[in-house]
Amino acid sequence: MHDDLNWAIGGEAGDGIASTGKIFAQALSRAGRHVFTSKDFASRIRGGYTAYKVRTSVDQVASVVDRLDILIALTERTVDENIDELHEDSVIIYDGDRTEFSDFEAPDDTTGLDVPLKALAEDAGGAIMRNIVALGAVCEVADFPIENLDESLEKRFGDKGEKIVENNKEAARLGAEYVADEFDDVEFSYELETTDEDYVLLNGDEAIGMGAIAAGCRFYAGYPITPATDVMEYLTGRIDQFGGHVVQAEDELSAINLALGAARAGARAMTATSGPGIDLMAETFGLVATSETPLVITNVMRSGPSTGMPTKQEQGDLNMMLYGGHGEIPRFVLAPTSVSECFHKTVEAFNLAEKYQIPVYLTADLSMAVTERTYEPDEFDMDEVEIDRGKVVDEDEISAWQNEKDQFKPHAVTADGVSPRALPGTEGGVHMSTGLEHDELGRRTEDTDVRVEQVDKRYRKVDTAREQEDFDYREFGDADADNLVISWGSNEGTLVEALDYLDEDDIDVRVISVPYIFPRPDLTEDVQAADEVLVVEANATGQFADVVEHDVLERVERVNKYDGVDFKADELAADIKEALA
Amino acid sequence: MSSENVRFTDFKSDKQPTWCPGCGDFGTMNGMMKALAETGNSPDDTFVVAGIGCSGKIGTYMRSYALHGVHGRALPVGTGVKLANPDLEVMVAGGDGDGYSIGAGHFIHAVRRNVDVTYVVMDNRIYGLTKGQASPTSRPDFETSTTPEGPKQPPVNPLALAMAAGGSFIAQSFSSDAMRHTEIVKEAVEHDGFSLVNTFSPCVTFNDVDTYDYFRDSLVDLSEEDDYDRHDYDQAKDAILNADKEYMGVLYQDENSVPYHEAHGVTENMAEIPDGAPDGATDLVREFY
Ligand SMILES: Cc1ncc(C[n+]2csc(CCOP(=O)(O)OP(=O)(O)O)c2C)c(N)n1
Ligand code: SF4
Repeated sequence: MHDDLNWAIGGEAGDGIASTGKIFAQALSRAGRHVFTSKDFASRIRGGYTAYKVRTSVDQVASVVDRLDILIALTERTVDENIDELHEDSVIIYDGDRTEFSDFEAPDDTTGLDVPLKALAEDAGGAIMRNIVALGAVCEVADFPIENLDESLEKRFGDKGEKIVENNKEAARLGAEYVADEFDDVEFSYELETTDEDYVLLNGDEAIGMGAIAAGCRFYAGYPITPATDVMEYLTGRIDQFGGHVVQAEDELSAINLALGAARAGARAMTATSGPGIDLMAETFGLVATSETPLVITNVMRSGPSTGMPTKQEQGDLNMMLYGGHGEIPRFVLAPTSVSECFHKTVEAFNLAEKYQIPVYLTADLSMAVTERTYEPDEFDMDEVEIDRGKVVDEDEISAWQNEKDQFKPHAVTADGVSPRALPGTEGGVHMSTGLEHDELGRRTEDTDVRVEQVDKRYRKVDTAREQEDFDYREFGDADADNLVISWGSNEGTLVEALDYLDEDDIDVRVISVPYIFPRPDLTEDVQAADEVLVVEANATGQFADVVEHDVLERVERVNKYDGVDFKADELAADIKEALA
Repeated sequence: MSSENVRFTDFKSDKQPTWCPGCGDFGTMNGMMKALAETGNSPDDTFVVAGIGCSGKIGTYMRSYALHGVHGRALPVGTGVKLANPDLEVMVAGGDGDGYSIGAGHFIHAVRRNVDVTYVVMDNRIYGLTKGQASPTSRPDFETSTTPEGPKQPPVNPLALAMAAGGSFIAQSFSSDAMRHTEIVKEAVEHDGFSLVNTFSPCVTFNDVDTYDYFRDSLVDLSEEDDYDRHDYDQAKDAILNADKEYMGVLYQDENSVPYHEAHGVTENMAEIPDGAPDGATDLVREFY
């Protein structure tokens, strides 16, 4: 028996795969089990294979594995797609009325359970509930109290009325009973323990949206794009309750300009997009930086270039975020390393944007954005959220300067590079902001000295931030190991697990996971102390590895994956092993 | 600054315009400043967003909270400002290239949203700042450096675009008729919703066809037409679509216009936020149980 269980439902897009998966994941998390979900989806709405996977354990889980224990196969293709992950104890639940088990190329020792999903669903009130029948069957196989499903079903169908909820509960019950009655001579080796813990289950996009509201963001503008749309969908209807508003813009050019306008008016504002949208925003990004407007721009990366593979994983936009745009543009780039960090780094992004009056890229990758994970609720403790608006000045401060025969200078050259900021409506603070090079008062200039002074001033913020902030990394593994693995973004979770595999092979590794891409922690000493240094990332060329090399003036090895599929722990361990050999 | 004491010169910055002597933009800007002062606004509570072009320099020469943005994107910025703080008076300005070419998409959507901003387009039917190429409002036979035989395509009719997008205030003015121009912009400022003022603002350097004389002779002032009712949609449609004449005045105004921020209940100043997470934020976490 495994202490963690890997479950999946697969079928065609339009089969209700995602919502069924979510219902099961929530039932598990309510029953005090940790959950990690992953989605395999194609860029189409109907037809095409799609799957939702749930890994669950009483311990926290942070990655997918190459093993499937229970599979609900709504189509034959579901089995074909997952064939390598099935093992002799795997159980496949299918509907013989729809699919013949003999059609499955299933490994010999898997157990196929033919459950008349559709017929039982009809008995409960409608064929549409066949997935729920299957969930009931899963509960029986896994010895997981079916009552845990009930609450999930209430949450999912509650607003459709009592009757629908009851029908669904009945559908689940029929599924469970069928398995109990018909397969009572089959031994299942699964037994899902429940605990008293109460976990929350959310994905990276939701954590970013929640972080934005927590940070006082009240204005969001965006244009739909996978996999960033969830941020907008999360905020819609929620941010309003906090006096905020979401605008679905006509395109990304508009989205970033809308957010810029709101930010100049003094609101904490954000836009979120993915690769192609970031390209479109590049021109205004320069304006945001030059006008020193605090703005958070979220980029949920997916496979590029061009429209690439919109539903697949990649960390390919790092160069664009670090260097994109004409001219030279000071900016910060934050890259949360887990779902909960998506929340915390979003809050931090807003504070950094306002403290330094600078655009902040916040980047998640597709895997992290769509992956749901369980956490203790106090991981998102709202009482701990701190807001720092930086150097916002009021009328009194402005008039005090003016009495000293000085003027309000929105781009004053200061020692720390940050100028006082007057929000529109503040008496005496009137000024114009422009993307043209300007003097301290904001007036256009081509004066060579002023130009140099202003460029230096804007870059000085970066130095100040390096001094004042804690741009640290996260570390795990064996602190004294000779092998150093550096990663960013969602690879962290997979690396945690890969360490176990490496351990089995007696390979000691120290892992550094870097959430601050710019400004970033100095890795020189860490690199110099190690014999072997690998940078793991989901792109072809090693964009972060380039950055590390540039910083430490030393060549580092690379482990790259750019097929669009997440790193898996055992595979990553093997890649690391090979790279170290 | 209390708005009673505001004079129009308070909206003037200390920067001297670098427009060519005689450029129509001088008159356009003066009218805008007068309209703002006469409608009781002060620079402290006004936000002007400008595009790129000779026209866009207006942001530099006027004095208020302001942003001089990138080419064609002034309207989204103005929309963001207005929604974040509806207490601000928001004016957006740019040229015909800025508004009807590179920014045409935003124009339609700003009109359709009916955001409460006043959009003044300095229509000189040419690209001034880039030294005389055809603009979307140039005549088909207008010869320029990039269209030696004329653009050979019909010009954009901005009033018709605004009408098609559901515009609630559609007006046209002429920069050199200072009094009428100021009146029209004033009405635009006072209108609750998106107001378009397409202002003929001659380029004396590159356009020798759409000149002061041309507009003076050809423009028909609607305020002098007894039977014109600006609230009559069909009449406005005729005047805009079947125009064999060019009009000055308010062509159309929807009496029942509800501006975006009111329709969406976005009426608070979003600049004000608490020191920590807002009240009720913990409920957001609870949703994920
Ligand atoms: C993205 C981009 N493309 C091109 C330009 C160059 N450009 C500056 S102003 C302008 C046209 C301005 O024409 P119009 O809006 O009619 O204003 P005018 O100068 O006539 O007042 C162009 C093409 C630019 N600044 N940005
Ligand atoms: S080029 Fe034309 S539009 Fe530009 S300032 Fe001169 S006259 Fe005005």
